[in-house]
Amino acid sequence: MVVDDEPIVGKRLKRLLEREGYAVETFTRGSQALEGLGRNRYDVIITDIMMGNVDGMMILEYVKSNYPDIPVIIITGYGKKEIAEEAYRKGVHSFIIKPFRIDELKAVVKEALSGADKD
Amino acid sequence: MNLKIWHKMIIGISIPSLVVIIGGLLTLYYLNNVKTRHGFVEIADDLRERVLEIRRNEKNFLLHKTTEYYKYFKSSISILQRSASNIPEAIIDQVGKSEFLLLRNSIQNYQDLLNNLLENYLHEERQVEKVREEGRHLESFVAKKNHAVELSTDFVLNLRRFEKNYMLFRDKASFDELNKGLAQFDNIIPFCIECIRYANAINELLNVHTDQTRLEGSLQIIGNKLEEITNTISIRERENVRSFFSVTQHRLLIVLVLLCVMGPLFVYKTATHIVKPIKRLAEITKRISEGDLSLRAPLKEHDETFQLSQSFNTMLDKLQFTQQSLERSLELLHEKHVEAEKRASLGFLVSGVAHELNNPLNNISLTAETMKEDLDTMTREEQKEYIQDILTQSERAKHIIEELLDFVGTRKSTAMEKLDIINVLGESIHLVSNQLKVTNIKLKLDVPQYPFFIKGNQSKIEEIFVNIMVNAIHAMKDSGTLTICARPGSGQRNIFIDISDTGCGIEEKEIRNIFEPFYTTKPVGEGTGLGLSVAYSLVSKHNGDISVKSKVGKGTTFSIRFPAYDESSVPEISNT
Ligand SMILES: Nc1ncnc2c1ncn2[C@@H]1O[C@H](COP(=O)(O)OP(=O)(O)OP(=O)(O)O)[C@@H](O)[C@H]1O
Ligand SMILES: [Mg+2]
Repeated sequence: MVVDDEPIVGKRLKRLLEREGYAVETFTRGSQALEGLGRNRYDVIITDIMMGNVDGMMILEYVKSNYPDIPVIIITGYGKKEIAEEAYRKGVHSFIIKPFRIDELKAVVKEALSGADKD
Repeated sequence: MNLKIWHKMIIGISIPSLVVIIGGLLTLYYLNNVKTRHGFVEIADDLRERVLEIRRNEKNFLLHKTTEYYKYFKSSISILQRSASNIPEAIIDQVGKSEFLLLRNSIQNYQDLLNNLLENYLHEERQVEKVREEGRHLESFVAKKNHAVELSTDFVLNLRRFEKNYMLFRDKASFDELNKGLAQFDNIIPFCIECIRYANAINELLNVHTDQTRLEGSLQIIGNKLEEITNTISIRERENVRSFFSVTQHRLLIVLVLLCVMGPLFVYKTATHIVKPIKRLAEITKRISEGDLSLRAPLKEHDETFQLSQSFNTMLDKLQFTQQSLERSLELLHEKHVEAEKRASLGFLVSGVAHELNNPLNNISLTAETMKEDLDTMTREEQKEYIQDILTQSERAKHIIEELLDFVGTRKSTAMEKLDIINVLGESIHLVSNQLKVTNIKLKLDVPQYPFFIKGNQSKIEEIFVNIMVNAIHAMKDSGTLTICARPGSGQRNIFIDISDTGCGIEEKEIRNIFEPFYTTKPVGEGTGLGLSVAYSLVSKHNGDISVKSKVGKGTTFSIRFPAYDESSVPEISNT
């Protein structure tokens, strides 16, 4: 699952990750993403922080309290140290600052999925 | 002196009162004494009166030698005796014991003498009778002629004449004549019995008479003495009273003078003693109020002013300390103010606008990477779309940078110019829009559609609005409504801008603090507490004012007024 209010991010990540063999669903609104969580089972969630009503932090909290096994990866341009610390405190798997290299993201996703498998 | 003011007052009042009381008591005592002394004078006068009465009776008695006068005389003496013995011992002690003793003795002597004299008188009477009888005997004896011829009838008759003369006159001449006559008896007939008896009788009478003269003399002497004693007593008592009066007069005069001199002196001394410390304090207070805070009230007297001075000094210490820390704060504020302005602009840019740049950059890099990997399999359409995306995102980045440069550019100007405040408000809202975007806060705008001009500096006014709006956003945390309302006042002379939030609100007692520099309720590192103080001073520099209304839990409204643009007034702004 990819959540980002920038539609381009969703589109590009979907294409790039599907090439790697993952099934990808994208959302531009946090609220829709939360609804999606109730419908399907996701292996990993990639989300931006700064988005309208429901932001990445809230998604992280929601996932960690309802589906603690699903790893959450945050991608954000708002790379403040305090926010990263807060995210790690809330159980984020990785905190990636925009702009990032796709290889970097791919590695993190792989690592997250393997970690989830082991559990 | 370590006396309290009221002690001093009591002393100041009681000492003159004491002098008055002592003077009064003294006067009373003297008056009482005068009364007693006057009593003595009366007694002395009484005694003297009685003695004079006695002397009068004495004279009468000695002249007439009758029992009637004797009675008067006697009774007047016993009256004196009674009066003399009726005088109380205490008075006798006061007036003079020896004199009274003398007086009493003299009265006694007088009385004794009187008794002797009375006896002598009786004796005289008897003796006169006897002389006459012997004379008659002698006459008849001579008439019988049975004796010597020498004893003639003539001689005897002559003798009797001498005798009569003596009895009548009792003077020296008649006495000598009688004596001479009697002396002739011996020459004429030595042993004539009748002659001898007659001569003896006469001699006896002469003796009685000598006694009488002596007694009478003594009586008069003692009478004189009585008179003298009473006179001295009376005179002395009078003298006593007179001197007593003059002494009393003197003493009273001294007391009066003392009172007249000491009273005012004492009142003056007391007053100065009371007033001096107060005056000193007043003097110091005046000098301090003129600006010398380093002065202190002296802690000399241990009266009520001591505590006053002490509290006063403590107050001064505090005042001085406050003044010093105020001066320090002011310096600090000055430094912080400059820093805060930097922060308000640059810090804002870094956290907002600069981060915004990451989004288009990320989009570009993601698009580029996708193209790099998939270029071969992409359709022409897809390739065009991707390149368009890159162009659009570059444009977006460029726009962000322009905005940034714009902002930095306007910051440099501090000039006051004609501004459309509605436009500035819009720009300010745009500056915080990024912060709004990451929250659930709704923005409600109620501003005129036409421009409203004021005189001011764009970046400064933006700073005012941004500071207030950022505070409002913080107060609401994640959700709420930020309402911004602008409306011109009557006659278009002012514009009123209200910025309201639905945040936590401010407690009543904290409201007066929020414009203080460094007042903040935010954690260390998040708030400097300078936002509102800077906003306040900036509003003042624009000749406007700012006020706040708040309800805890409901929200807060900041109201700002700016005067409308007016060609005639050109407010200056300092270049800090
Ligand atoms: N809209 C508001 N609602 C509730 N409290 C407010 C509001 N505006 C200001 N305050 C209170 O006033 C204090 C002072 O505000 P001020 O802007 O001067 O400093 P700050 O926001 O704490 O720090 P800084 O602005 O320097 O980062 C705040 O800490 C906050 O407690
Ligand atoms: Mg503030």
